[in-house]
Amino acid sequence: MQIDFIAILPEIILTVTALLVLAADLALRGDAKQFVNPLAGLGTVAAIIATVALWGSERVTFGTMYVVDDFAVLFKLLFLGTLLAILAISWRYIAEHRFFQGEYYFLLLTSFIGMLLMPSSRDLIMLFIALETVSVPAFVMVGMRKRDLYSSESALKFFLLGVLAAALMLFGMSMVYGFAGTTDLVGIAAAISGETASVPLLLGSVMLVLVGFGFKISAVPFHFWAPDTYSGAPMPVAAMLAVASKAAGFAGLVVVAFIAFEPVADVWGPMLGVLAVLTMTVGNLIALQQRDLIRLLAYSSVAQAGYILIPFGLARTGPGAAVVNAAAIEAVVFYLIAYAVMNVGAFAVAIAVERRTGLRSIADYAGLSGRSPLLAMGMTVFLLSLGGAPLTVGLWAKFAILEAIAVDITLFGIVLAGFLVVNSVIAFFYYLKVVRTVWMDEAPAGLPQLQPGFNLSAVVVVLMVGTLVLGVLPGLVTDFSSVISIVAAG
Amino acid sequence: MSNFEQWGTLAIFVIVGCLLYAVIMTVNRIMRPSVPSPQKLTTYECGVEALGVGWAQTNIRYYIFAFLFVIFDVEAIFLFPWAVIIGDLDATTRISPVFALVAMFLFIGTLLEGLAYAWKKGVLTWD
Repeated sequence: MQIDFIAILPEIILTVTALLVLAADLALRGDAKQFVNPLAGLGTVAAIIATVALWGSERVTFGTMYVVDDFAVLFKLLFLGTLLAILAISWRYIAEHRFFQGEYYFLLLTSFIGMLLMPSSRDLIMLFIALETVSVPAFVMVGMRKRDLYSSESALKFFLLGVLAAALMLFGMSMVYGFAGTTDLVGIAAAISGETASVPLLLGSVMLVLVGFGFKISAVPFHFWAPDTYSGAPMPVAAMLAVASKAAGFAGLVVVAFIAFEPVADVWGPMLGVLAVLTMTVGNLIALQQRDLIRLLAYSSVAQAGYILIPFGLARTGPGAAVVNAAAIEAVVFYLIAYAVMNVGAFAVAIAVERRTGLRSIADYAGLSGRSPLLAMGMTVFLLSLGGAPLTVGLWAKFAILEAIAVDITLFGIVLAGFLVVNSVIAFFYYLKVVRTVWMDEAPAGLPQLQPGFNLSAVVVVLMVGTLVLGVLPGLVTDFSSVISIVAAG
Repeated sequence: MSNFEQWGTLAIFVIVGCLLYAVIMTVNRIMRPSVPSPQKLTTYECGVEALGVGWAQTNIRYYIFAFLFVIFDVEAIFLFPWAVIIGDLDATTRISPVFALVAMFLFIGTLLEGLAYAWKKGVLTWD
């Protein structure tokens, strides 16, 4: 077997970094342990360079299991960029809370290795391994605050529901394999499209596979773990779950839905469309009631998952489907990039506020503008962008979804667009409520100025600038996201 | 075979299974002598009288040792086929022997780091 080592170089670099981090943690003592963080950061930068070098090439390795094309490279850059931001916002938080530092960074890197595998997988088994490599370290990281019952509870919930979803997905995969006789995604598509009449058992197993990803992206009937897990987990882990792990779930969903199950898109398309409507409506309505900022962000991330599911609802099969599906994938990718920029930023500000004081309810953000103008500005920009205000990237993200709907207008598409607009208005209510608290309410007496530290401030500034620059020049991303095409390839 | 015939086969299978169970248990009940005694209600433990309660605590350390054992068990599973074929490799085969050797030692090295980690964390000492 000829292995293309250039194609898997980013994964190799991250693996070596993870092992080095573990070894360094064993060698270092006391306060020196925190220097595993820059080590992990260096490895991430090296992996980013290796990934950028892969842009524009089309490499296939491990048989046909592993494909590195522009779609995969774009997703890998998204994951690695998120990893870099999360490393920067974790440094002080993890060092101060006396977590198991080496283990934390080792598990974080391991989880991201799984994410890098996800968009390249073209085989059910590879997809499953990637998904589990993302999930298993995350289960442990959520329970990292070992002495805290709340953290243990959230880890247990996450673990049990995660295992259930994995079991359902594996069950579905085994039935798909029984039907198609292959685990290769392209082969499955060929086997399914050869069938003239739709087989209920096959459709059922397709649904089971999609349920597994539905859990990962916290779509609505499977979202119950998200708020509890986010609020119980250490905050950088919550940021990682809300952004990177969710993006990985979407990457897997795109690959499996648009390549393997493309011939039955008429069935899963409307189903995911209904899920999208449910997800954004339920997420937004519950978010209105939240008093804890992390829970608010959790429900907001559920709602955002709903928006990202909308393009899946447009998917179809048959003649002329390729254009619609390509537009849908493009919208998903662009929204995920925008979502990563703004949501990591929001979590970064929340970490800065919570770090020493443990304050995390929305009322505690009163007068943040006086305590730290930079963080207040950052929070405002990120929340407005999550809502989709003009001049921020959030507007273009929603616009990208509408653009995908407009490629071929159907009644269902119009209904989805209607729900998108109504939900955006609902979402603005709770985002603006936080913004009002930050700028207009009096700060409680006795709170000191916030000192987020260099790394965190740098992340907030970079992401804030990114949100605004992409809000003016969305072409910086869409120029790249519009050239990806896995539909034609698959 | 149509859909209904397939499900029909399954249905017959289930019905016959239930019937068989019912028949056997009924015959059993009719044929057997019934001599109840309190002795027969005690817990059976290899003919020895049962002591204590059903709940027992197991030292958590066993779990960690079992874990490490499983990891190295998996290593052994990979090592055996590797050891069988590595002798047949030479420059003409698709995989060179050096590649196979390096790959396996990378794998073992990764596991060894795990062992070193467990050792350093004091998992391997019993007290």
